Amino acid sequence: MTDYGQDLLFGTFVTPDNQAVHHAVEQAVVADRAGLDLVTFQDHPYVAKFHDTWTLIAYAAARTERVHLTANVTNLPLRQPALLARSVATADLLSGGRIELGLGAGAFWDGIEAMGGRRLGPGESITALEEAVAIIRGTWDTDTRGALTVEGTYYAVRGAKRGPAPAHPPGIWIGAYKPRILRTTGRIADGWLPSLQYLPGGVADLATLNEHLDEGAEAAGRSPRDVRRFLNIAGQFGTTSRGFLQGPPDQWVEELTDTTLTYGTSGYILASDDTATTELFAAEVAPAVRDEVRRARA
Amino acid sequence: MTHPGRVVRLGIQLDHRDPGAALAAAQRAEAVGYDYVLVPDGRDDAAYDAWTLLSWVAARTERIGLVAASLDPLRSPTVLARSAAGLDLLASGRVALAFGATTETGAALADHLTVLRRMWDTSAGPVSHAGHHRVTGAEPGPTPAHAIPVWVGGGESATVETAGGLADGWVGSLDAGLEQLAERLRLLALHATAAGRDPRELQRVVVLGATGTPADLGPLVVEHGVTTFVLRVDETTASGRLESFAEESHSQLEEPARAALAEGVIAARPLRRADVRARRRPGIDYDGLPESLAAHAVEPGDPGYGAVRSTYLRGGRPGLVLRPRSVAEVVEAVGVARRHPHLPFGIRSGGHGISGRSTNDGGLVVDVGALDRIEVLDEARRLVRIEPGARWRQVATALQPHGWALTSGDYGGVGVGGLATAGGIGFLGRLHGLTIDHLRAVELVLADGSQVRATASELPDLFWAVRGAGANFGIATAFEFAVDEVPDIGWAQLAFRVDDPAAFLVEFGRVTAAAPRETTPNLILGGGGAQIMAMVASDDPDVVIAQLQPFAGLAPLVQQQVVIAPYAAVMNMFPEAPHHGVGEPVSRSGLVTRITPEVAAASARLLSSGAVHWFQLRGMGGAIGDLARDATAFAHRDAAFSIAAMGANAQRVDREWGELRPLLSGSYLSFESDPSPDRLAEAFPPDTLARLQALKAELDPDNLFRDNFNLGALAATSRRPA
Repeated sequence: MTDYGQDLLFGTFVTPDNQAVHHAVEQAVVADRAGLDLVTFQDHPYVAKFHDTWTLIAYAAARTERVHLTANVTNLPLRQPALLARSVATADLLSGGRIELGLGAGAFWDGIEAMGGRRLGPGESITALEEAVAIIRGTWDTDTRGALTVEGTYYAVRGAKRGPAPAHPPGIWIGAYKPRILRTTGRIADGWLPSLQYLPGGVADLATLNEHLDEGAEAAGRSPRDVRRFLNIAGQFGTTSRGFLQGPPDQWVEELTDTTLTYGTSGYILASDDTATTELFAAEVAPAVRDEVRRARA
Repeated sequence: MTHPGRVVRLGIQLDHRDPGAALAAAQRAEAVGYDYVLVPDGRDDAAYDAWTLLSWVAARTERIGLVAASLDPLRSPTVLARSAAGLDLLASGRVALAFGATTETGAALADHLTVLRRMWDTSAGPVSHAGHHRVTGAEPGPTPAHAIPVWVGGGESATVETAGGLADGWVGSLDAGLEQLAERLRLLALHATAAGRDPRELQRVVVLGATGTPADLGPLVVEHGVTTFVLRVDETTASGRLESFAEESHSQLEEPARAALAEGVIAARPLRRADVRARRRPGIDYDGLPESLAAHAVEPGDPGYGAVRSTYLRGGRPGLVLRPRSVAEVVEAVGVARRHPHLPFGIRSGGHGISGRSTNDGGLVVDVGALDRIEVLDEARRLVRIEPGARWRQVATALQPHGWALTSGDYGGVGVGGLATAGGIGFLGRLHGLTIDHLRAVELVLADGSQVRATASELPDLFWAVRGAGANFGIATAFEFAVDEVPDIGWAQLAFRVDDPAAFLVEFGRVTAAAPRETTPNLILGGGGAQIMAMVASDDPDVVIAQLQPFAGLAPLVQQQVVIAPYAAVMNMFPEAPHHGVGEPVSRSGLVTRITPEVAAASARLLSSGAVHWFQLRGMGGAIGDLARDATAFAHRDAAFSIAAMGANAQRVDREWGELRPLLSGSYLSFESDPSPDRLAEAFPPDTLARLQALKAELDPDNLFRDNFNLGALAATSRRPA
């Protein structure tokens, strides 16, 4: 039993489809009006039928009022860290502090290479990720005097101008599954952003994965509570129960409450491209899970 | 973004430190009537990211052109191509790119332009490129909403040469004085001409300082063809400066320049680049298009071509796709078609046609997809005006809040125009009849370009003909339908294992004939199974279950799903998807009044022959049979089922279908791909056909409208002296 005691966040994972041109923006507006905390989009720049995720985020942020937005997760190998930091900060400034930064070390390397990106091995990509985070945080840090220099193996900036500073500290949330990158996440990130569909043992796998994160956090002198645990989920509302998150809202509430109290998950991001599903999640699942968790913790 | 008839366009360049102030300036410029807002990249003060600001401005403006300026040619062209195309889609075709090249980056520039354009060209395959930018098999796309102009900025001679040879525009400044600017412009024109281009293909953009008056700039327009002036603005720009510059430009620049310019010096419209024009097809007067149509026309070298060349089921390579935005433009498009009688000519609403050839090879297509308004005319009479480019899913979605629906087909992506001029055998058919049975008025542009309105009392012959053979008589520009009150409906998907298809068909026929009118089933048979999709027009679960029960007992059920949902949910089951049909569909259509054992046996043999991969029966009867056979040009009011089969090889399909043919009572032309005149006699009984041909001879004597079950070909044959 590990509950890190964080307040809960709820959001959606919307397909950034560009064939129904405004679909993703409209779904962001739906989540915003429904009172959800987050709207997230996958980022696969090698896929022609998807919008460029950071362009979409800026556009959708301009059309929403309260909801926070992020890539889930940014494909780092096709982004320059300093440029990424600036675009996040710019959108954060324009939106009044509503942009977060989901980051991934990279996957689908054939696609990355086809687009002109550099193919890295698993270990190399984790080192590159850590270097990128140093550049991103350094770019945002305008309180430190002097130019930014980060001499990395994969990314390097020498004497770069810092800034702009974002309106709020965007959370850096990393998508990770393997021990080394989990320890890195525990050491340097503000959040962890895995997808339930990639956990072969379902939520039960979270116990082991949390241990790697905690180990990384503690080794860096941080508290495991400094790393928020998100979970990308998929499910279907229905009248009868047919499995995890396959059933009536009450069942969802029970399962998510249990996941929070058992594994400390404090952010649930539901794959939804459908207005009715998003509204039901916001109205009948999110507040009820919050209540149940509050009651159990008290 | 283009303003035909205007000589000088105006832009502002955002040089603010604060992105919020920059956004406010962009919005003000739009309100004052500026054409472009430029957001320069690569600023050394690290104030903000330009692309992010531009995306934000796109979401908060409606009309102004969005220019990502001073782009670095070293950045990744593949990611930029996708980002720009996506933003262009979101912002409805307002994006332009402007590079700022230096000696260091100049060599990468030509490479960058090449890769960008290939990434936007979805009519070709994966993109590979070796050079400054290495790309190995990247998937092209998305297709931007318009041909994104790529401008190049910089005064170095190599840069001017690249711009003259390849770019859509050149950006210069007055920083080094008028003389030097004029010299660069002369050079630009020379390089363009040397590359075989028309120098007017290039926009010439001049960035001004914060001061200065338009009065000095006249010679640049008149002598050097400058098209656009850009004012730099930032937090220190005096309030009212945007307004005063726009006013001064109009009086001191636009008007004198217009008076001084010789005819033809400025192109009346944006010219396509020489490499785009090189892909034009013979026999088409591209440059003679009316101004209004030219703005939205798509030709083979345009980036939008990949998205419009093919239809849902048919591959095509039309020479020109016209996309009128108004009835007046439809009239102009018909005029263009009249001037090109030697070319194939297709009319497209949604692009789902099988009999209707809404794409072709080297010919014209008039795509009325932009005419897609849906409007309630009379709440009490449930009278709704619908334009031909609307899709049935949009119609269903628009009617749902009123508790109304209009029976259509079985697929929400189909366009209104094609279906509403042919018949419309849909899921509410047995209760509410065909789609055409709800038509109260239709507006058309006829072959001679005249605009007419046909109703039961005005042009009644034409009104009759449109309801079944409309494609032969004109381009419909609006329909008025009386729609039905339709509360939520029962929607079932039942899958069966079928060991004896012939026996199953006979039973399906018996059960359907006995079913109440509320229920309309649609059967797909093949591969040892059957799938029934059925609608029961009732929101009472007991009624729905009771009416479905006889169908559920037809054979062992392997899967079933029944929901109570709005009609619109069924029409919205499948999302909008681009059309990338290849080849020619082979489809055969037949109507039967009953599924006799002979029909069932012939169908079963057709299925087992392997000649068809799709075999579908749609339930008819009920209200469809309430009208007299001469009430509309669709005459087969006695049909109980529509049968459609699709295969890959026409000869093979015909061999097997031939057994079924003598058993049919007629055909529904929308599912028939064989253009032979023999098929006309199956679609229209002799008296109907004669009446249609007489009207065709009167209204379209030159046989302009011939892409869908051509009545004119036969008329011409029969008129020929013996």
